[in-house]
Amino acid sequence: MRAWYLPTLLGVALAVLAPSQSGRAEESGNPGPTAPPAGSTAAPPAAAALNEAEILGTPDEAIHVQSVTTRITGFDQFGNGYQAQGGPTPLSPGSERATILEPQAEIEATQGDRWRHSIHVPVDVVSMASTHAIDVMTTASKHVEAGAIDWAADYKMNAVTDATLLGGVHLENPFRSWHGGLAGKRAFADGDTVVSASVVEVFDWFDRFDIHGGRHGRTDRSNASGSVGLTQILTPTTLFNVNYGFTVQLGELGNTWNSVPLSNGQRGPEILPDERSRHAIVARVAQYLPWNGALHLYYRFYADDWGIVAHSIEGELLQRFSRALYLGAHYRYHTQTGAYFFTTLAPPDGSLRVADSDLAPFDAQTIGGKVVIDTPGVGPSVDGIRALHFEVGYDRYFRSNDLQINVVTCATGYRF
Amino acid sequence: MIARTPRTRRGLQAAGAFAAIAVLAGCATVPQNRRAHFADPMMELTPETLDGARQQKMYDSREGAAGGDGAPSGGGCGCQ
Repeated sequence: MRAWYLPTLLGVALAVLAPSQSGRAEESGNPGPTAPPAGSTAAPPAAAALNEAEILGTPDEAIHVQSVTTRITGFDQFGNGYQAQGGPTPLSPGSERATILEPQAEIEATQGDRWRHSIHVPVDVVSMASTHAIDVMTTASKHVEAGAIDWAADYKMNAVTDATLLGGVHLENPFRSWHGGLAGKRAFADGDTVVSASVVEVFDWFDRFDIHGGRHGRTDRSNASGSVGLTQILTPTTLFNVNYGFTVQLGELGNTWNSVPLSNGQRGPEILPDERSRHAIVARVAQYLPWNGALHLYYRFYADDWGIVAHSIEGELLQRFSRALYLGAHYRYHTQTGAYFFTTLAPPDGSLRVADSDLAPFDAQTIGGKVVIDTPGVGPSVDGIRALHFEVGYDRYFRSNDLQINVVTCATGYRF
Repeated sequence: MIARTPRTRRGLQAAGAFAAIAVLAGCATVPQNRRAHFADPMMELTPETLDGARQQKMYDSREGAAGGDGAPSGGGCGCQ
């Protein structure tokens, strides 16, 4: 899998260093599509003598960066959960206080007429503000810098079919993860209908800690995922998408250091199954509104064999105020049942148990908004930049079992 | 096996109804020259890559019912 993205990184580096297309043509002696064909005299040849390459120019297989986008997001989290230690007693919930800074960057590039590459680099800087949280005791995530590289290479097989190779690696102090996969999509009915499918395999390899912070070698898990989707133009103003996905996980499915309050007044480690099958169905609708706005509706149904069933609905209203400026406001409601072995007070035997508040029954809500400025048509005179994108947004996430997060995000994008 | 609770059945029925509507609507093609509204960034069905990634990260790491979408998921806690 490493061999997949090394050529891509090299290609992007070459693209940055390479001169412009016109300059390259001059240097190589390639006459380009507008110059007379090599070996011709002053009189132009008959049209019948020209082949496709002479008319259109030879295909350019160099990598050209099409866009660069950056985003920085800050998470400020408050709350308490029973999986964390540090409460007044061993049976009390501990703090889930955390601040997270997440810069991201994405580069999109084309290679010839058929290849499109996308490289996404997210970085997380996690700081635990609670001095008593179990994460601090283990030092597993007292202060963590985590980084990843995700790569997607899309190959246009013909006018209606695309195939995509996926790969990536995630690195942080106690944790390594690799993923690879394949995706494809095909358009039907003059592009009215698009059918897509994907398969992805993820392998995680990480340190095993006990609940007191002791390290006990390494452990791993694997995740096999697949999805099929359908996107349909319903009317000249309505788009619809439905997607089904599944994930089968095997191996160590806990983070190993979460703890569970026990009925004997102590704390013990989580005991989880070593297999999990998960299914999700998502439906989306985008509706253009006659007053220059758009409405997005989203519904997601989820079920797994740990007993969790969830429904999520989301609506977003967007309003354009000018060619360059639009505003958006959104609301999301999520409700889920808990895992069948979730408890906040477990018997001190070896039965399955988890106190992770993320696996509890709860309701969650997100409310937020954003301001987006797009400036198309800046023109090639400004260092080759054709369009600029700027966005700033805020989300408030709060849920029924004592967790609140403030999220601020800001993005800039350049299209060349 | 997933328990076939009434909530599960209702969810599957709703998803099936959505899919049926989409397939039936596909019988009538919308001509290319009537698709101008879909070029507006506001009409993107899915968020821009980085926005989608930060949203997915937030929900994947805090909700046990996140994931299962066929996208890469993993991470350092049992909920993923």
